[in-house]
Amino acid sequence: MSYEREITLSAAIREAYVEEMRRDERVFMLGISIQAGTYPQTKNLVDEFGVRRIVDTPLAETGMVGCAMGAAQEGLRPILDFMYAGFSYYAGSEVFLQAGQYHFLHGSQHSLPMVMVGSCGLGRHVGNEHATLPYGTTIHHPGIKACMPSTPYDAKGLMKAAIRDDNPVFFLWHINLMMHKGLVPDDDYIVPLGLADVKRAGSDITVLASGLQVHHALKVAEKLKDQISVEVVDARSFEPFDRDTLLKSIAKTTRLVIVDEDFERCGFAAEVSTQMMEHGYDLLDAPVKRVCHPNLPIPGGYMDTYTMPTPERIEDAIRDVCHWGKS
Amino acid sequence: MSLTTEQMRVLHRNLFRAVTLDKMMMRLIRVGKLVGFYHEGGIALAPGVAAGTFLQQHDIMWPHYRAHGIAHLISKGIDIKRFIAEHMGREDGCCKGRSSFHPSFPKDHVFGYSGNIGANFPMSVGYGFAAKYKQSGQVVMNCSGDGSYGEGRCHEAMLMAANWKLPIIFWCEANGMAQHSNIGDLFPGPDISSLAAGYGIPASIVDGQDLFACAEEALRAIEHTRLGHGPIFIECKTLRAQEHGVGHVNFEGPKPRDPKLMEEWKETRDPLKLASARLLQEKVLTQDDIDRMEAEVAQEAEDIEAFCEASPKALPSIAEMQAAVYAA
Repeated sequence: MSYEREITLSAAIREAYVEEMRRDERVFMLGISIQAGTYPQTKNLVDEFGVRRIVDTPLAETGMVGCAMGAAQEGLRPILDFMYAGFSYYAGSEVFLQAGQYHFLHGSQHSLPMVMVGSCGLGRHVGNEHATLPYGTTIHHPGIKACMPSTPYDAKGLMKAAIRDDNPVFFLWHINLMMHKGLVPDDDYIVPLGLADVKRAGSDITVLASGLQVHHALKVAEKLKDQISVEVVDARSFEPFDRDTLLKSIAKTTRLVIVDEDFERCGFAAEVSTQMMEHGYDLLDAPVKRVCHPNLPIPGGYMDTYTMPTPERIEDAIRDVCHWGKS
Repeated sequence: MSLTTEQMRVLHRNLFRAVTLDKMMMRLIRVGKLVGFYHEGGIALAPGVAAGTFLQQHDIMWPHYRAHGIAHLISKGIDIKRFIAEHMGREDGCCKGRSSFHPSFPKDHVFGYSGNIGANFPMSVGYGFAAKYKQSGQVVMNCSGDGSYGEGRCHEAMLMAANWKLPIIFWCEANGMAQHSNIGDLFPGPDISSLAAGYGIPASIVDGQDLFACAEEALRAIEHTRLGHGPIFIECKTLRAQEHGVGHVNFEGPKPRDPKLMEEWKETRDPLKLASARLLQEKVLTQDDIDRMEAEVAQEAEDIEAFCEASPKALPSIAEMQAAVYAA
């Protein structure tokens, strides 16, 4: 008999850490002030696992990433908490050129299992360094997986999958979902990397989104339900990306809007849009439309609430695509 | 810490092999048989031999790129022919011919080096962290040149290694040059090892042309780290008697380097000549021993080249390569 509990996304990530660290002695965490718990998901972990496995590092991201890589090559399974995902850029060479490419370049002989975790996303008015969403940049570089949950269920399952994966995985979570609540079962489960999820079924148009933008899309779908039937697909994982689920969806709806909180230029939305051109052109009745952050630095102040994709912009895009060719 | 005659023999033979293979690599690149580049070791091979000779198989080593780490690798007991095959882009290369110049011998705890100078520092922290976490008794031989200490990574690594008392040897093969610049123009102080003091890491300087002096320092550093005393810094002062890489200019800043000085170094400061002379003088070896070794090592080089030539060029399909990006 299994039970479900309603917990926050942050608590769900914490449960994944605790369960995987209990299951596997090789798993440890490193990051800045994770013993004190900058975010609730690491708070008090040190009480159970001690300072040996919950490791506070100096402010040295390059050293942290290299440390995780070296430890992984020597048989450990590190979880590296960047706090903010944008801080990963300090270690650009390690994250983008090395972590993911080491395995292939060295003859695919030796795995490099490590999880990098960071918060991201707009709406906290703090500007680019703390808000930037590096999944597009990450998956541009081969060999590194990346995902971002929209619900506590997905957060726990994706984190467990990431920890058990033998490759580097960048696990991003949206800061505005930290206290978002949802049902999580007691049983051990994973959400495999590379599996999208239809969060709401519909028949007129597909909206692909991830993280906070899934909730924006769901809000719009609910609002429009008497006029336009919107199917909301949650990418969940950017690399590997579940193209088949999206193709199945557009085979039904024939229309696609991609919502991406990252910059528009060369981003995930651009990539998926091209993949749909290459593999789903015959299924589409209208051009794909993107709703992204405009190509300007993520501002601080009050502006980020409308530079990010908003329900209003998503609704406009849906109406545009649905009316394409009809005026 | 004084060396036994047997240790001196092994060191000398490793250096002999390193010098011979370095010369072979120079010949191979000049006749166009290496797919990528090569950075000659020349008279700077003694520190690498000293670094590798006394390590155990489970100790981790990041070789210095000069002579592409051949001195370090053969001294650690690694089957070098697969590394040379890698340089020739062959299927039997240690990275299946994909890397051009990276070593990868995971069973021997050599996971590679990188085209990015300084990448050794944070990764060595990870190796040392894992050794301590597992209480495995492994030590980390983290080799790089003086130029690499311009990378900020070295400071993060020294900080973390010192703070966590990790078993890491910062083995600096200081040849006084960084690409085409003199280190004296790039660093304010005379000795790179002075950086270690800021982190409370004990440091010493040794004559990098003296194979046996380097080896004594390596033994001392291995013992220091193996006993859990934390990181240690050894600066081997060595020389670069040629350009940075094959086909490059041999300048320091705006000026060509002094060719007469480099010829003089080759005459008087060649570590193999110095080591051979000492072993002959101390009657550890005879000239016959050396002549026999020369023939054996020449045969080894010939066999390696034949092995590499016989291995097919690695030309996998794009699909095969795409299937190899992720660990299963």
